[in-house]
Amino acid sequence: MHMQATSFVCARVFAIVLLMFGAIPSAYAQAPDRSRSNESAAGHPDFGGTWERYAPPRDPNAPPPRGDAGIGLGPIFGAPPPPLKPQFVAAYEAEVKRIAEATQRGEPIANANAQCIPDGMPSMMLAIFPMEVLQTRGQLTIIQEAFNQVRRIYIGEDPPAIEDAEPSFYGHSGAKWDGDTLVVDTVGIKETVRYRNAPHSNQMRIHERIRMLDANRFEDQITVTDPVYFSGPWSWTWTYQRKPGYKMYEYVCEDNREFVDPDTGSQRMRFKSKAE
Amino acid sequence: MAMAMLAAASAAHAHHSFAMFDNEHQIKLKGTVKDFQWQNPHVYIEVDASDVYAKDKTTKSWTIECANPGILNRIGWKFNMVKAGDEVTLIVAPLRSGEPAALLKQITLPDGKVFTNGGPAGPANIQ
Repeated sequence: MHMQATSFVCARVFAIVLLMFGAIPSAYAQAPDRSRSNESAAGHPDFGGTWERYAPPRDPNAPPPRGDAGIGLGPIFGAPPPPLKPQFVAAYEAEVKRIAEATQRGEPIANANAQCIPDGMPSMMLAIFPMEVLQTRGQLTIIQEAFNQVRRIYIGEDPPAIEDAEPSFYGHSGAKWDGDTLVVDTVGIKETVRYRNAPHSNQMRIHERIRMLDANRFEDQITVTDPVYFSGPWSWTWTYQRKPGYKMYEYVCEDNREFVDPDTGSQRMRFKSKAE
Repeated sequence: MAMAMLAAASAAHAHHSFAMFDNEHQIKLKGTVKDFQWQNPHVYIEVDASDVYAKDKTTKSWTIECANPGILNRIGWKFNMVKAGDEVTLIVAPLRSGEPAALLKQITLPDGKVFTNGGPAGPANIQ
């Protein structure tokens, strides 16, 4: 009975998330996709366009994939747990537990997003909101609607050496073509910029293989390595589908009423607007 | 339990966790909009309202947190859809702390049109 209820809830969560990301009828559905850039692809696949993350259809009666917290997000929406070296596992698991317990108590720990700090790499490729890809000669520019994040991938260049890579949210990305796949290497992610709370060092590298699956979908195979913290590669794939004619919304954190409780680290809410 | 899981699951796809709101004890508010703040990271409705189902019908100033303009636009909201002076009915999940602020679940506008607050905020569970 409990399992059935859990499955039902998870299926419902999945349906809601699908609704959130699902195609919404748009007055601009027939409009040209202005971010397409066929001339710039120069014989290569063209990733230009507006996109949203794609989740394959599932049998609603099947057991849902499960994430670390036992909720139905699992491998469709996120990576497996990070392959930490044994000496880092206990601290990581304690932190995951602390966050889960605070959430259960209704006192969620304020994460970076709650403070209007953008995701950075690789989390930004999760595309919680729609994203736009601009493909010009020698450059792929990825714009996430969430937090107005912009990432620039320089095609035909190597990323800088790690010791020369200034730490940043989106890192420094160089790429080359391997047939129809764009192979991207990224270094220089700030150590405070984390995905799934995984610690990492300045030795972290993000390797991506980006390729079209068909005319309306592309995938990003992501592999993260870090010789300091990880015992092996950390890999997962996110897939995106076109959102034709969509016009990206601006996202300026103008008046963030969430703040961090200085005593507990929990997220609190300010009632008055800045103007009051 | 179910709603707590829903809140936890939804949190992964929202600006922040909604666990500080009590999804299991939603309330229905009726009142007058004082201000409608259409902006990121959240839209806010300031409303002087009373609890429809409570014995105590005292009017209080409530701050109602909505999703963000992008999410709301994609489910049919408009930036000028709510105005100061509008009489609205709201189903909300109040803060667990008891303070007069809440997460919107559903709004009924003066013309009777009903809008949800999008997927991450979760559905209303009362009428």
